[in-house]
Amino acid sequence: MRDHDLRKKLVQFERSETVRSALREEVSQCGGDVVEWQRTRYLAKLSSVGSIRDEETCERLRGLIQRQVQICKRSVEVMDAVRRGAQLAIDECQFQFRSRRWNCSTLETMPVFGKVVTQGTREAAFVYAISAASVAFAVTRACSSGELEKCGCDHNVHGVSPEGFQWSGCSDNIAYGVAFSQSFVDVRERGKGQSSSRALMNLHNNEAGRKAILSNMRVECKCHGVSGSCEVKTCWKAMPPFRKVGNIIKEKFDGATEVEQRKVGSTKVLVPRNSQFKPHTDEDLVYLEPSPDFCDYDPRTPGMLGTVGRQCNRTSKAIDGCELMCCGRGFQTQEVEVVDRCSCKFHWCCYVKCKQCRKMMEIHTCR
Amino acid sequence: MTGAIIENMSTKKLVIVGVTLLLFQALAFMVGGLIAPSPTSAVEYLATKCVDTIKHRQETKWFMPWGPNQCDKIRTFDEAMAKRIEANNIVFAAHIPMPNNEMSPWFQFMLVILQFDIAFKMYNQIEEGAVVTVDVGLAYRDDSFSEWTEMAHSFEHRNLNCNFTADKTFENEGRYYECDPLPFMEVGSVAHKYYLINIRLPVNERKKVNIGIGEIKDIRLVGIHQNGGFTKVWFAMKTFLTPSILIIMIWYWRRITLMTRPPVLLEKVIFALGISMTFINIPVEWFSVGFNWTWMLLFGDIRQGIFYSMLLSFWIIFCGEHLMDQMERNRFSVYWKQVGPIVFGSFCLFIFDMCERGVQLTNPFYSIWASDVGTELAMSFIIVAGICACLYFLFLCFMVFQVFRNISGKRTSLPAMSKARRLHYEGLIFRFKFLMLVTLTCAAMTIIFFIISQVNEGHWHWGDHTVQMNSAFFTGIYGMWNLYVFAIMFLYAPSHKRYGDEQSSGQCIAGDGGATSGEDIQLTTTVTHVDGPTEIYKMTGKEAQE
Repeated sequence: MRDHDLRKKLVQFERSETVRSALREEVSQCGGDVVEWQRTRYLAKLSSVGSIRDEETCERLRGLIQRQVQICKRSVEVMDAVRRGAQLAIDECQFQFRSRRWNCSTLETMPVFGKVVTQGTREAAFVYAISAASVAFAVTRACSSGELEKCGCDHNVHGVSPEGFQWSGCSDNIAYGVAFSQSFVDVRERGKGQSSSRALMNLHNNEAGRKAILSNMRVECKCHGVSGSCEVKTCWKAMPPFRKVGNIIKEKFDGATEVEQRKVGSTKVLVPRNSQFKPHTDEDLVYLEPSPDFCDYDPRTPGMLGTVGRQCNRTSKAIDGCELMCCGRGFQTQEVEVVDRCSCKFHWCCYVKCKQCRKMMEIHTCR
Repeated sequence: MTGAIIENMSTKKLVIVGVTLLLFQALAFMVGGLIAPSPTSAVEYLATKCVDTIKHRQETKWFMPWGPNQCDKIRTFDEAMAKRIEANNIVFAAHIPMPNNEMSPWFQFMLVILQFDIAFKMYNQIEEGAVVTVDVGLAYRDDSFSEWTEMAHSFEHRNLNCNFTADKTFENEGRYYECDPLPFMEVGSVAHKYYLINIRLPVNERKKVNIGIGEIKDIRLVGIHQNGGFTKVWFAMKTFLTPSILIIMIWYWRRITLMTRPPVLLEKVIFALGISMTFINIPVEWFSVGFNWTWMLLFGDIRQGIFYSMLLSFWIIFCGEHLMDQMERNRFSVYWKQVGPIVFGSFCLFIFDMCERGVQLTNPFYSIWASDVGTELAMSFIIVAGICACLYFLFLCFMVFQVFRNISGKRTSLPAMSKARRLHYEGLIFRFKFLMLVTLTCAAMTIIFFIISQVNEGHWHWGDHTVQMNSAFFTGIYGMWNLYVFAIMFLYAPSHKRYGDEQSSGQCIAGDGGATSGEDIQLTTTVTHVDGPTEIYKMTGKEAQE
């Protein structure tokens, strides 16, 4: 990273996050590959092109398997939400991994991540979980804003009466979002054949990602009986903010279980490799192989660019500390002038008036 | 009213009546649990962010979140920032209901809850005691192509009650505050098919309007309405119950008028209880399907209030009339001390309800809880009503205690009494204990089911064929109190046995009273003096003749 480049970046910056992302884009692009990721990334790229409106667009989307194209054609209106979900997953992944050696950055070329993590690593587990969750999340949101015509208020959800909504109201949108995620995201693994250990791992992690939403729904209630008493109370479930979902999946990532495939009876299941560990639950992430160290640039594996030039924290002993981040190669320290915002006036939306304060800051980057 | 049917009924008949009532009770629960859907449903709407580009418009324009003629949308406010759109040009739009659905008069009411998603930003935090000012409009239409008609428009203030659970550091920027849901709107009838809500959050730095409310990311609305299916089951139940109670009421009053003596207080109170029950039962709500009567919600509250206060008064008077001491009661004014709190408490709740739902008739966005003064006022009304309720229950418990004390006192002196007197007291004691038992059972059932339904709300049942516990609670409890009133009117009506003896028995008891004037116990209570066409009087008559 050249000093002057960095300064240019820093001048127009939005506090630390942008700096990180800028650094990320330019410097280190090591990545988790995952075919899933390619697809979602590809969908995400389309956000700049335009929305997915007609069935022909489905054909042109690269990264989808045949059965996904069929689903796409069948429910074109949902695909916009899927696209947004993919973008959401990338943003959240990059936020959660901002201070790790692998920072979830993506490449602009195909294949997006090369072959760095084709193996079933922890990182792959995270990416699968967050993608499945984000699709469910985005579809549910689209339902709530009335963009989709199916969803929870679909007339035959309850099956009790001919009148559906007027008789018994709607079912929760989240049920639709999760069901869509299940059919659309999981179909890849189901197509491959259930038996491969990779497919089992991916399916498990997809489900764990969706569980991260489902088991953290917030129940809110309103009393509206006589004089507003709790004689009549109506409760509903609100989705957690996606940042919270990301945090939960990140926690699961930190405590993920290494598993191996074993045959129990006629079915193949994943069991912890170390038999002394507690068996994983539905909500835990699982992986098959330990991750590489992501330290060094490897020309043979596209995307594995190493941590050279990454910013690090000198005082921290954790993974964002210079010791660990730079894999013991040491770091450079530069003093740069940072233009920060100060004494700002905010409106709730879209308006910020600030003074510019300059201050000197030390920035450490890995050798 | 000595000589109620209950005393003269054989055990066999009593059991038959009891079993029949229990069967109806089970039916009431099953109607709610198996036929009706859940009583209410909530639909979450994520408000669409529309951009109002034209500066000074003449007439109000309505912004549609989807469908034809939808507004210019933005997804996030970062987009707005890039396009230099100001806060004052953003309109949050929500269409009720979702696409492909229609609202219906069967929904009875519609209330909307407002929730803000506010992201934490180090430099743009929510200030202490932040107040949001919303400029809100509500419009309706009955087909999907005509123009929107304005229904209400208002500027409202709501206190933001948010807390941030994580540490307030740069690391946690972007996490959301946890904000309490805010009451937003309440409409007492759903006469139209489509509703549209447009919300603006105008900013005025000089007047400090909407300053320091954090970085709003989204507005979510939750629309709650009664389920059409539940309404239909409910109406059907009311329509069935009204004639049942009405008929037993007429029968009861005829019995009383057939007697030569004027009705005693307890009989009048039971009749009043029947009237208030019928008042609740009469399914005037049928009209709400055809007419746009927004006051139905308020009217329903009033009807329920009248019934509750009647029921509470009935218990007090029933206890009082069975006290079996020497006081001559039989006058309503005797009970002012006990009934006073009921009347005062109900009055407080009535005033509160008028302040909330009464004002909502003109401005559906009004909420008494929105302002600090209103909250204090509302709280004081509720607290006073609560104190009245406590006072009432103290009185009631004390009275019940007194009755039991007198009963045990009488028990010891019973064998020494003359047969007539003994039978009279035994009748009183049985009557009292029976009602006590039934009342306690009903009250316990109500409380148990209430708790179950409250707890049950927390858990969600997935799958299609679950028993609707909440609907079962409503229909079951409603049916139960109807049966209660029915049973009381039936069992505590004067018995018709031996009307012919009326005259003589009246004389007899007078004679009896005279003869035993030395005894310290007098037959006061409701009792009667006159009418007694019952076994007891038969006995007393005979004895006196002997």
